[in-house]
Amino acid sequence: MKMFRSILRHAILLGFLLLSAYPLLWMALASVRTEGDARRYPFSPPREWTAENLRVVAESGSFGQAYVNSVVVCVAGVFGAVALSSCAAFAFARLRFRGQRALFLLFLLGMMVPVHVTLIPLNRLMGTGGLGLKGTLWALIGPYIGFALPLSILILRGAFARIPEELVDAARIDGCSTWGVFTRVALPLVRSAIATVVIFNFLTMWNEFAFALTLLDPARPTLPLAITQFSGEHGIRLTQTCAALTVVVLPLLVVYCLAQKHIIRGLTAGAVKG
Amino acid sequence: MRGHRWTTPYLFVLPALLVYGLFVLAPIGDSFRLSFLQWPSPSSAPVWCGLRNFAELTHDHVFRLALWHNALLLILSLVIQLPVALLLAVLLSYPMRARGLFRTAFFAPMVMPTAAIAVLWQFVYAPEEGLLSRFIQVLDPSFAYPWLAVPSAALPCVFVVICWRYTGFHMVLFMAGISAIPEPLYEAARLDGASEFQLVRHVTLPMLRPVLAVSATLSVIGSLKYFDLVYLMAGGVPEESRELMATYIYRLAFEENQGRYGYGSAAAVALFVIALVVIIPLQARRARGEGARP
Repeated sequence: MKMFRSILRHAILLGFLLLSAYPLLWMALASVRTEGDARRYPFSPPREWTAENLRVVAESGSFGQAYVNSVVVCVAGVFGAVALSSCAAFAFARLRFRGQRALFLLFLLGMMVPVHVTLIPLNRLMGTGGLGLKGTLWALIGPYIGFALPLSILILRGAFARIPEELVDAARIDGCSTWGVFTRVALPLVRSAIATVVIFNFLTMWNEFAFALTLLDPARPTLPLAITQFSGEHGIRLTQTCAALTVVVLPLLVVYCLAQKHIIRGLTAGAVKG
Repeated sequence: MRGHRWTTPYLFVLPALLVYGLFVLAPIGDSFRLSFLQWPSPSSAPVWCGLRNFAELTHDHVFRLALWHNALLLILSLVIQLPVALLLAVLLSYPMRARGLFRTAFFAPMVMPTAAIAVLWQFVYAPEEGLLSRFIQVLDPSFAYPWLAVPSAALPCVFVVICWRYTGFHMVLFMAGISAIPEPLYEAARLDGASEFQLVRHVTLPMLRPVLAVSATLSVIGSLKYFDLVYLMAGGVPEESRELMATYIYRLAFEENQGRYGYGSAAAVALFVIALVVIIPLQARRARGEGARP
């Protein structure tokens, strides 16, 4: 009976594992086989291997540029989000001031707002009548930071609040200014929360689609936009499109497998602490 | 902390507040303003029209259907996705060797861009040569079905992809919740002669209630934010059978021959208000619940 149960458990889990992992495996294999092979024997391992698809992706050129664009936007966005949110979170956690609670709630409001509410006004704000940034990567960075702030502040506020009062007092007695307490005492103590915030925001920005679709110049896309463009142009050649997908997804999955503990914690932090 | 000037805290908050104000709060305010304008296209001059856009919205059957589609995806998430996630978490709570492997695999789609997921799944759903049709062709060689082009099938097909991406996320939450349940509870129940099923029913489920509430709340919030997958995958069916609130806003404002900024903003304001009305009570309940925990 026990044996039977264990087999049943594993069978169900393996079934779901197949559903979960097979599309990814199929994608990776399709990227290194010939088009005819992939179409004739979709479920079997490759019989005719080729690097042709990856070569087409590499030579299309758009992906190299899109990679650079995504890195620029994400690095700037994550840096901005961490810098701004850690300052604000420190004030919310350790300082006392009038309007503190109202301001904090105002920031929390942002977690509930679907970004799509702001698509039209942000387009106007970034357009020629406004900041004139539309079509450039700069147009993404501001909204990415703005929408990253609520959850980042919430997570960091919790971390700052857990620092023992004695440590802060001791630094104070040693003559630290408030800024000194923040940078020299508090920030080093919340490193793991900052890592969480970095991971969460990096993945969110790296994968973001709606703002990129409406604010960027299609000729200078980030990766998510580039992948949809590529599939629009080469979608008929499934192996080429799979090669493009693999180029985009595989590095992410490799990093995920290496640092999965941190990444799972980063992505679920909003649920646990929000 | 004491002994700081009264201005210091404001200087700490100010940079964040400026960016947040400029890119989040001001656009929301601007949405409200635009929603009172009649503005058929960006090239024409906007005219104040009071609440006319909202009056039109209440009669707009595409908008009503969009609301329904959002609700439908939420209901499907609650009755299919969360139970599956719970099942996986419970199955993985038994001692086994490959638990880490399963967890890694089920959570993996969470790190992928939704755009890449949409492109990948189009190969699953292609009418004749898609993986799904090819799989069925093993039994019925002449089988072909345009999954994403059949009005009644497109959204459910996209829902499967939503499950594929997010089930692992909820499963991880449940796994964490289960591992926090004190082992003596199970031992006591076993001593009382409880079966495996009864353990799950009478120990795991009740203890997991706070986590289930978190998952359900996140599903509600998430359901109002669906855009990418539906926009990218369900373009082949008429709008009546696929439009969500977010995709409708996008289409009204940005699709060719549209550019209806005023009316689109009215739809955006409606989405914003719905989000607040639905989410604030849920979050307030959660906040109270958290205060009660030790």
